Amino acid sequence: MDKAGRTYLAQFIGTMTAYVIVLLASVLILRSFPDPEALWRIPVALLPVVPAIALIMAFVRHLRVMDELQRRIQLEALAIGFGGTAVLTFGYGFLQGVGFPLLNWTFVFPLMIGLWGIGVAIAGRRYQVDNNEE
Amino acid sequence: MRNNLRVLRAERDWSQADLAERLGVSRQTVNALETGKYDPSLPLAFKIARVFGRTIEAIFQPDEETGRATGRA
Repeated sequence: MDKAGRTYLAQFIGTMTAYVIVLLASVLILRSFPDPEALWRIPVALLPVVPAIALIMAFVRHLRVMDELQRRIQLEALAIGFGGTAVLTFGYGFLQGVGFPLLNWTFVFPLMIGLWGIGVAIAGRRYQVDNNEE
Repeated sequence: MRNNLRVLRAERDWSQADLAERLGVSRQTVNALETGKYDPSLPLAFKIARVFGRTIEAIFQPDEETGRATGRA
């Protein structure tokens, strides 16, 4: 992995870890002080958005320094992530119409990230390096 | 498109990683170019031509059967 790749990986792991920690802290605080009138609850509830934005910014920066094949792989992966998330959330929305339980919106982001990751694996397989070749 | 990147690289005794470094791309990209899984953009094709001191046409040739880009990869 080149320097840009390592920088991005570090930022990805850092921001995802921050997201999980901030999310858990936010939920914990909100549950510990259940005062529906308190305005401070709004920014606390929104706190997990900050590391999520940092993650997106890190990805866009990385996208700009990638080489063209890697960018193509990311395009295909994002298409899989975008389309997969659309189909799954859309499909589940219809199922809610026939009595399936309401799901929290916060499921969408991890679903999108997960499908994007699967997309990278699928798209990357087409351009796999033959390791006997050197 | 067909290309003779592997031959040109072997003539210079460069590894895929060496060529990747000279081109400023990943080794995966060099591998995909050599195996014909990926056709380079025009700027990258010019860079490849410069690295090997040849013209683009001396390195890349369109597929004979169709005589045009396949749109593959």
